Amino acid sequence: MIQLVGINKTYAMGEMLLPILRDIDLTIIRGEYTAIMGASGSGKSSLMNIIGCLERPSSGKYYFDARDITTLNDNQLTDIRNFRIGFVFQQFNLLSRLTAIENVMLPMVYAGYSRLERRQRAEAVLVQVGLGDRLVNRPNQLSGGQQQRVAIARALVNQPDVLLADEPTGALDSHTGAAVMDQLNELHDRGLTIVLVTHDAQVAGRAERIVSLHDGRIVAP
Amino acid sequence: MAPVTSPILHASPQQRRRTRAALTWADLLETIGLAWSSLVSNRLRSALTMLGVIIGIGAVITMVTIGRGAQSQTEQQLKSLGSNLIFVQSGVAATNSPASQGAGSATTLVWDDAKAIAHAASSVAHVAPVLNLRSQVVLGELNTSTMVVGTTPEYQPVRDFLPLTGRFFNQAELDRADRVALLGQTVVDSLGLTPSSALERTIRIRGEAFTVIGTLEFKGVNSFRDQDDQVLVPLTTMASRIVGVNAISGISLDSISVSATRSSEMEAAQYQITNLLRLRHKTMFPRQDDFVIRNQADLVSASNSVANIFTSLLGGSAAISLIVGGIGIMNIMLVSVSERTREIGIRRAIGARSSDILRQFLIEAVVLSLFGGVLGTGLGVVASLIINAIFGWRAGVAVDAVVLSLGFALAIGVFFGAYPANKAAHLDPIAALRSD
Repeated sequence: MIQLVGINKTYAMGEMLLPILRDIDLTIIRGEYTAIMGASGSGKSSLMNIIGCLERPSSGKYYFDARDITTLNDNQLTDIRNFRIGFVFQQFNLLSRLTAIENVMLPMVYAGYSRLERRQRAEAVLVQVGLGDRLVNRPNQLSGGQQQRVAIARALVNQPDVLLADEPTGALDSHTGAAVMDQLNELHDRGLTIVLVTHDAQVAGRAERIVSLHDGRIVAP
Repeated sequence: MAPVTSPILHASPQQRRRTRAALTWADLLETIGLAWSSLVSNRLRSALTMLGVIIGIGAVITMVTIGRGAQSQTEQQLKSLGSNLIFVQSGVAATNSPASQGAGSATTLVWDDAKAIAHAASSVAHVAPVLNLRSQVVLGELNTSTMVVGTTPEYQPVRDFLPLTGRFFNQAELDRADRVALLGQTVVDSLGLTPSSALERTIRIRGEAFTVIGTLEFKGVNSFRDQDDQVLVPLTTMASRIVGVNAISGISLDSISVSATRSSEMEAAQYQITNLLRLRHKTMFPRQDDFVIRNQADLVSASNSVANIFTSLLGGSAAISLIVGGIGIMNIMLVSVSERTREIGIRRAIGARSSDILRQFLIEAVVLSLFGGVLGTGLGVVASLIINAIFGWRAGVAVDAVVLSLGFALAIGVFFGAYPANKAAHLDPIAALRSD
């Protein structure tokens, strides 16, 4: 499903080149639930951005579904994000002007679904994450846990191959965070590939497999 | 690998989309609706931004309407001078100096020229010799300064002047140099009279008593002078009683008004008059003519070219305000892009191509300017109608200016929206996501 071969990522800091990721080799098979764990500054966010096709590696190969994505152009990368990957962020990243259902419909707008189809599917997904009674609420009318569930619904609505969750519980209290983690477990049980990024060992422990990152390298757990 | 199923999502995974559908009109309409709702959510800001375009478009339409109205007004006035009219003006004095003294600098025309034109030029219908003098006209305690015009009864058909009350003087009165006068309506008012009470009154011009035998119909002000501010007297009376005769050359004239037999004969008449006067004045080439011939068409085109410059100046200054309005749109769109950087990042992350972002912001700018354009058009049309009503113009609203302005508003939205939209489209998704 996902295969990273010799991935390096370097940022230019003025004159200096700052290596963020070094020689990352990582393979994630379909249906796997992987946690990428590391302290802040370990490069886990960069790794997440590369896996999510938001960023290109400085060198190395990235095969998504056996397709080398380092050769793709911006529009092709965008379409992979749209059709194949679902994102869940720490800060939810919902559009505050839009209602819950409008937020969930957004990825389908760019995929080109009809209005009716969008509404029906967005509603179905929101019902399935337990927000059937919050369709027309705006994010500021929802609790943190509810907002994160809207974000999960948005990530799922285009039926992605991979769900990428970046510190999904970071902005939630432990009780609500646990409920969100239960939701991810449930999705995994139903066959979804999940990549979770966290600094929290307890959260990482919910995954099947933990990849530890230290100073831009994968280290033994 | 077995194909993944996501039963939480859908019962039929084969419906899963793998490629982007083509952009449809419905999508475009939806984007417009979205742009609209985003503008509405910032009501005051959008309204203030549109104000520039509203004023710009409104000004263009109003200014063009004013220019056109003034133009058609002038045209009508020129027509009111009479039809198929040719003016022969006493012209440039013959001097040895290379500097031209200009038309009217010498009274080179005489009554005999007018008689000769009437006699010899076949394309000429009527000829009215004109001698002007600015003078006081006195009635009892009241007096007014006006233009005293000495002419013949031919003046009536040439200049299309009908008496409102009373009658025009006739050939017999001209021959006898009777002291009779017709008053224009401005003079009637100035002397505290009415068109009917003016009849049979005695007025004094330079000490000479004249009997009012008629008043002239209302003509209005043209671009040259108030056609109602004049007193008509027989040319003979004018010459003998008011200005005195030059014994050698006869009665000298300021101008001769000529009407051609038909409008198609205008050119022929002008040609005949020119040749006749050149013979009589011995101004064959290379000597310079001492008279100037103009026809109505010349006057109309001269005034039209003035009016066109006027209209372009007004329209041009209004167009500048439109451009200022466009810059306002660009400014607010840039603000909007930087305010919504995070939104752009989110949209990019979940699958918006940079062209989707470009379209979103471009359409927002166009909706802003086009809606401003529609409001501005409304403003301009209302202002135009009010101005037409005030001045009594029948020119109507400049429809082409309306169409042009709306097109211009659209172009302004695209032009001034392009830079901010392009900026939004090329934001780095990661950096945009991290911004606050």
